[in-house]
Amino acid sequence: MTELLTTQIIVSILAATIRIACPLMIAALGELVAERAGVMNLGVEGMMLMGAFVGFFVTHQTGSPIIGIIAASLAAMVFSLIMAFMAITLKLEQFVTGMALNLLAAGLTLFWYRSFQKIVGTSVPKIDLLENIKIPFLSEIPWLGKIFFCHNPLTYLAFLMVPMIWFFLYRTKYGLELRCMGENPAAIDMKGLSVDTRQYLAVMFGGLMAGLAGAFVSVASSVRFVPDMTAGRGWLAIVIVIAGNWRPKWILVASLVFAFLDAFQMHVQAIGFKIPYQIFLAMPYAIAIVALMISRTKSEAPAALGIPYRRE
Amino acid sequence: MIKLKFVKRTHNNLRWRILSFFIALVSSLLVSGLLMASVGQNAFEAFWALFEGAFMGQEAIMDTLLRATPLIFTGLATVVAFRARIWSIGQEGQLVMGAIFAYGASVIFSGLPSIVLIPLVIIAGFMGGALLGGFCGWLKYRFKVDEVISTVMLNYIVGYFLTYLLSGPWRSKGSYYLQTEEVVKHALYPVLMEEYQLHIGFLVAIVTTVFMYFLIRKTSLGYDIKALGMNPTAFRYKGANIPKMFVLVMMISGGVAALAGTGELLGVHGRLNMDISLGLGFTGIIVAMIGGLTSIGTFFAAFLFGGLVNGGYVMQVMTGVPLSMVYATQAIILLFFLCSSLLSKYRIKKVTDND
Repeated sequence: MTELLTTQIIVSILAATIRIACPLMIAALGELVAERAGVMNLGVEGMMLMGAFVGFFVTHQTGSPIIGIIAASLAAMVFSLIMAFMAITLKLEQFVTGMALNLLAAGLTLFWYRSFQKIVGTSVPKIDLLENIKIPFLSEIPWLGKIFFCHNPLTYLAFLMVPMIWFFLYRTKYGLELRCMGENPAAIDMKGLSVDTRQYLAVMFGGLMAGLAGAFVSVASSVRFVPDMTAGRGWLAIVIVIAGNWRPKWILVASLVFAFLDAFQMHVQAIGFKIPYQIFLAMPYAIAIVALMISRTKSEAPAALGIPYRRE
Repeated sequence: MIKLKFVKRTHNNLRWRILSFFIALVSSLLVSGLLMASVGQNAFEAFWALFEGAFMGQEAIMDTLLRATPLIFTGLATVVAFRARIWSIGQEGQLVMGAIFAYGASVIFSGLPSIVLIPLVIIAGFMGGALLGGFCGWLKYRFKVDEVISTVMLNYIVGYFLTYLLSGPWRSKGSYYLQTEEVVKHALYPVLMEEYQLHIGFLVAIVTTVFMYFLIRKTSLGYDIKALGMNPTAFRYKGANIPKMFVLVMMISGGVAALAGTGELLGVHGRLNMDISLGLGFTGIIVAMIGGLTSIGTFFAAFLFGGLVNGGYVMQVMTGVPLSMVYATQAIILLFFLCSSLLSKYRIKKVTDND
């Protein structure tokens, strides 16, 4: 009996790890592309929150989670244009701009949600969740099937994104140009290619991904919207990019580690350990600091990261 | 096609600085108005209610000052860090830590008379924030951990620490809410005038503003802070001790932010609860930016933003526009201000063939 219980719990923890890792990974991959292009976008949290709300709202209105998710991605992409305009065109301090984006998203989504509650007349409007897809045959495998092959479609997409982004960055001409921009934008400029256009596209892609990640947090995980529901995941995504040393495969690993901690924490509460559960909730953030303390050696951080490009 | 070019202004132009502030304010109000209209609210009514609630009459002003008090502290905390180009966003966590330390001290030393107890509690609160800030400074120089990340992470960690204290060891017995027992009466901040809630924390805020003004303007430490902010490489060649600066600046910043938490605890809530901050740390960052990262500017910006929040409550009651509108407006003001501040730093010039 206890043995069965333990196996069940382990399977449940690992399945939760996969699920929780996805939004972190999607947002981190988007941020990776922006940072590789030389733009330090600290507005990930805000873009995710925007995606989470728009995803929830559109799903509520249309009844279709798919349309909700698409709308969330597009909304966050449009939102990221504010960052792009201020950081690339106006060349303002990127740190402050990202902060402003986060604060704006927090204020706007709360305002819209409160107004929405008043208009629909219920305090807790609910939506239909994005349904899980059981992959035929594979989901039948004992344990592994439950862990890997019974998730919502976004999960599979998230894991597919890792090799896709890797291929783009390291095996295509545009990927090479993008990485070059983060190291030495003048070289791109000298070749007669537009640095600004490419950085805009990179930031917008980051926004798209953050929106998708945000939709994952709302449409794919919760029937209702909660103010500030991304709860620091955007910041964790930024940490994951650093801890993953700006490389897709290590970003995958880092996302899984953070997700495992969170999944473990949820089950510890269920099992009923005597340790205060807040310790586990705070753990990912503490681990993030420790990860940054160790990861300073042989960093692959783009040399021109966060420095606005000005033609001399 | 006419080509335009930004040309850096040679000297700091005060007229443009003030003008750009008003351009930002008007644009933000316009956008906020459109936002309210988009959900079917009457923007004019809402703004009028907000303005009346914030600045019309003695009571409104007193309440606005009460709301401005914590923002002055978190704003000044931002000023001292940002001037040294240390991008701390840990004001929120430091504020909470300050409140936690202050509450702890008020319990431990509750036997002492007010005249000793209150200063002790203030010092304890300051220490709480200073330790947290100093820790991030230490992480920065010892392990090169980016302060943006470490301060944000600590905000969350401190948040959970507070939840732990309030749900476990410090929870008021038999209370449904997550809150502590009330602070002993003689540890509370006395009010300045009989019928208003404004407390001596406001005086502490004025003193801190003046202190910060002199620290940055007139002392050698202030000179070092500005030098570090302008050109860290040159600063290092001068033989200055950068690690010490990181820790010192972050300790001052953290301590000052913590005074906001102490004030909210002893002057407003009277007990530790989950509502001790509600984003006061983040608003402080906006306040400091709008104040041009100067002490005096921050003081006045805090008054404006205190008015926004105070008026926001009146607006919510009178017109039904949610208070959260105000938080969106604050961020919109920051965005427009960042853009329009370029007007005071650059002038736009038509590119001619001679260029």
